Amino acid sequence: MELFFQQLTNGLAVGGIYALIALGYTMVYGVLKLINFAHGDLFTIGAYLGLTLLTAMGLTDKLGLGVGILALAVMVMGLVAVVGVVLERVAYKPLRNADRLAAVVSALGASIFFQNAVMLIYGAKFRVYPHNILPKMAVNILGLEIPLIRIIILAASIVLMIALYLFVQKTKTGTAIRASAIDQGAAKLMGVNVNRVISIVFIIGPALGGVAGVMVGMYYGQINFTMGWMYGLKAFIAAILGGIGNIPGAMIGGLLLGVIEAMGAAYISIAWKDAIAFFVLILILIVRPTGLLGERVAEKV
Amino acid sequence: MGKRTIQMVVLGFLALAFTATAAFAGTIKIGLMCPLTGSWASEGQDMEKIVKLLAENINDKGGLLGEEVEIVVEDDGGNPRTAALAAQRLSTRDIVAVIGTYGSSVTEATQNIYDEFDIIQLANGSTAIRLTQKGLDKFFRTCPRDDEQGKVAVKTIDNMGFDRVAILHDNTTYAKGLADEAKKLLSKQGTANVVFFDALTPGERDYSAILTKMKAAKPDAVFFTGYYPEAGMLLRQKKQMNWNVPFIGGDATNNPDLVKIAGKDAAEDFYFLSPPVPQDLQTKQAEDFLADYREQYGSAPDSVWAVLSGDCFLAVTTAIKETGSTDPDVLAEYLHSDLKDMPGLTGKISFDDKGDRVGDLYRLYRVNSQGEFVLQSD
Repeated sequence: MELFFQQLTNGLAVGGIYALIALGYTMVYGVLKLINFAHGDLFTIGAYLGLTLLTAMGLTDKLGLGVGILALAVMVMGLVAVVGVVLERVAYKPLRNADRLAAVVSALGASIFFQNAVMLIYGAKFRVYPHNILPKMAVNILGLEIPLIRIIILAASIVLMIALYLFVQKTKTGTAIRASAIDQGAAKLMGVNVNRVISIVFIIGPALGGVAGVMVGMYYGQINFTMGWMYGLKAFIAAILGGIGNIPGAMIGGLLLGVIEAMGAAYISIAWKDAIAFFVLILILIVRPTGLLGERVAEKV
Repeated sequence: MGKRTIQMVVLGFLALAFTATAAFAGTIKIGLMCPLTGSWASEGQDMEKIVKLLAENINDKGGLLGEEVEIVVEDDGGNPRTAALAAQRLSTRDIVAVIGTYGSSVTEATQNIYDEFDIIQLANGSTAIRLTQKGLDKFFRTCPRDDEQGKVAVKTIDNMGFDRVAILHDNTTYAKGLADEAKKLLSKQGTANVVFFDALTPGERDYSAILTKMKAAKPDAVFFTGYYPEAGMLLRQKKQMNWNVPFIGGDATNNPDLVKIAGKDAAEDFYFLSPPVPQDLQTKQAEDFLADYREQYGSAPDSVWAVLSGDCFLAVTTAIKETGSTDPDVLAEYLHSDLKDMPGLTGKISFDDKGDRVGDLYRLYRVNSQGEFVLQSD
């Protein structure tokens, strides 16, 4: 039983990261009906920028641990958001009226571009976040030793997700986003500035992906230019699992995927961990293709 | 530009080209296939530096058979797909031999390509047993083999008195081979019980689920046969979980990046098997070479696998010099039968009739609290 709970917490912590990245995928899909394959690389860029800012500016030394990390997160979110907007303007906007396939190819191209740009700028070897930034305490809950950082990461992920959900549900801009996701044409007729909405989506999504990158970098330590691929793929699965285009779906999909992976590793076999995750994806697509919480697609009446 | 000007420019270039190659009669091309990018970029970049330095040394002394040695480098990316493409490209570049590569699964993907083109291949880091069991008469390796490593691993486990051992690999040719070998020997000799045997996915970051599962099996020690990036992450996360069971690594965990990734705290008291690391090499050739390398690049090479690629280079250039030929069959024959105890950087080099290196090379190392690799005497 102890093993079950330990693995559950392991899974939730990983799932929180998947959920943050999945939110980026799901928001972009909801509004543009496009899978932004370059999203995983925005996550990588976030991790690398976090490293540069941390080592170049010595934030935690100057501002203390909590404030320093918060400042780092905010700065990285801002920078990656800028990259996200530029990506949208350069790679997606010109193709808005073109074939859907063209936009997908453009996304793949952007992904390759970012990966290699990171490799050329930062070098092909691994980079490692400075050790000893985060406290190493473990908290003892119900007899399980859980590193405090995992709890903090999970908590931070949930806070960000709830903030996003409230933003989308309760604010005027959020309503504009939801309107654009349902029907861009009708939204325009109602006076929604769809271009602005798209830019906002490309600010929020990449910002979340970037902060996930910083969290992964700080916790696991090692970053390299291909890290976005696996995380991006898993997050994509998580988004589909929860219902692509659906924000709470992405959150639940991410956490669920993390737990499924951990349980699969614990009770079936570690070597088959990824196979189990992909198998779940196939199952969902067969049984309930719109995902657990349903897809946000316009109904043609 | 007028037609006249273009003609002058072309003539000018030709003149330059002729003067540039006037020093040497021609070139002998030797290929280098190494992981310049990807998970093992540290290894690949060291390999390139070492081989190029050795080539420069030969050229400064007049070249090989009066010709300039040129190194043709291709990146194998540390994965079989990219390597196959790299091998195709290299095979059409008129190379006499190719040095490479590090990972066994990567080398394996290229063996048949080189064999088809009759190009001699000397691997420096691929220790999987089956690479020399295919009857490829132009394949050689300067690195040892995993059956020797399996024996040393089991002897180490025995010496340290562990009864319950967990074995973890990563499903690559090399790691699985070594894990299977160790498991086989452990059950045959009855030294210890294998209480856990499974694989992780390379490139993943979160190993908490795996570590939790291993911990539940209550081993006395864990033998990890995978590569250094994953080993570093495992050590770091094991420390975060406050789990103190000793970890023993195979030779692919031997790279200073391991300590960088894991952090000195987590890497302390990690044991691994390996041929002697560059600082512990005792031949005169090695000492001279290391001094040379330090002068050129500012610090000693990080990895013994890269130094082994230097030995590949020395072996093939010795063969060319002694036989006076660049014919692959002649060179292969020489390397199999006539190259005896050539003084290389890592010791005496001879190849047996399967292309394996003769001699026992594996030692036990421990990482100390400063992150240094300390040779343990038996």
